[in-house]
Amino acid sequence: MTRHTDAHLSADDIDAWLAGHLGPTEQAHLAACPGCLETAEADRALIQQLGSLQMFSPSPVFADQVMAAVSLPDPFSLRSMQTARRRLFATSRSVALAATIAVVVLGSMAASVAWSLSHRDTIAAAGTWLSASAGQWLWTALRSTVSSVIEQPGYRGIRDLIGSPGRLVALSALVSLTYVGGLLALRKLMTGPSGPVSHANA
Amino acid sequence: MASSPVELASATDQEVVALARHGQDAAYRELVRRYERPVFSLVYRMVRDRELAEDLSQETFVKALNAIESYRPEFKFSSWIFKIANNAAIDHLRRRELDTLSLDGSPHAETPEAIEATALQIGDRQETALEEVEARELGGEIETAISRLRPEYRSCILLRHVEGRAYEEIAEILGLPLGTVKTYIHRARNELRLSLAHLKE
Repeated sequence: MTRHTDAHLSADDIDAWLAGHLGPTEQAHLAACPGCLETAEADRALIQQLGSLQMFSPSPVFADQVMAAVSLPDPFSLRSMQTARRRLFATSRSVALAATIAVVVLGSMAASVAWSLSHRDTIAAAGTWLSASAGQWLWTALRSTVSSVIEQPGYRGIRDLIGSPGRLVALSALVSLTYVGGLLALRKLMTGPSGPVSHANA
Repeated sequence: MASSPVELASATDQEVVALARHGQDAAYRELVRRYERPVFSLVYRMVRDRELAEDLSQETFVKALNAIESYRPEFKFSSWIFKIANNAAIDHLRRRELDTLSLDGSPHAETPEAIEATALQIGDRQETALEEVEARELGGEIETAISRLRPEYRSCILLRHVEGRAYEEIAEILGLPLGTVKTYIHRARNELRLSLAHLKE
């Protein structure tokens, strides 16, 4: 739309001028029209005045009063469950998404059960192979560990220490006592103070 | 997602609302902290009574936070809370307008005795300390000029030029067509210019 330079500026034009987006035709009019310039300048001054108005603060207890009156939602309450259900069925898209997820999960479960029932022999064979392999791996690991321990330089000393039944009993008793002592100390550390605790001075 | 106070302060409104929906007390407080001053300022300038503005602002927050489940995240949280606050203020002003009319006695009273009997008696108005504070806070020329605007114009001009909201957001807050919002703001500016013209002389 073309404008004549003698048409006075509209309120929208003044908004555009304030935002720095006034078109060249309107700019030309503004430069030549003292009335429009005066209105525009007055609007600018008014807007500056409005923008510099102070913000007011409510009383310092305002937030506490609001919080005391607000009921926080319990995520496991019946109402929350109902809200979640309502939200789930709020739009056709969310219903379609929920239905798709349900179909995928239930379909996968059904397919898994059906496949297991029709391939029992395969599953049994795989189980046998797995248990045999696991046994073999365990035995190999045990042998390697024992060989490694026997080859350690301190092994002879340990064998001598536990070689005699008396020393073995004494060692077992010492280990048991240390274990029980550790348990008691841990329990004491984890029990809260029974009386009031004085605050440390900073 | 943000949950400690520092993280909450830098989270977006939508993120804070999401935490509030999970029942996080700190998220509720953060929303109050962010909007208590803008909401209170708007309502105070609308009703020009500090105590009442505080009650209406509190009512606004309680209503908004209790209905946080029904808030739709595709809209700005600020628009939602300002909408509730503005409705509370406008409703109050409308009720007060009705009450003011009844000060002169019931419109159904037909005899002078009936009119006198139904009229409210108002004693001498003592200015309280609170009213003094209000008079000081809202006593400036521009504040007085704003108070003389129609409530609809007042909401629009405050949201646009004091709160710095966009025309589109104001239209959403007030539930008015964009053109109407622009017209109200331009008329309000004209009225304010005229009210304050004597200051230039």
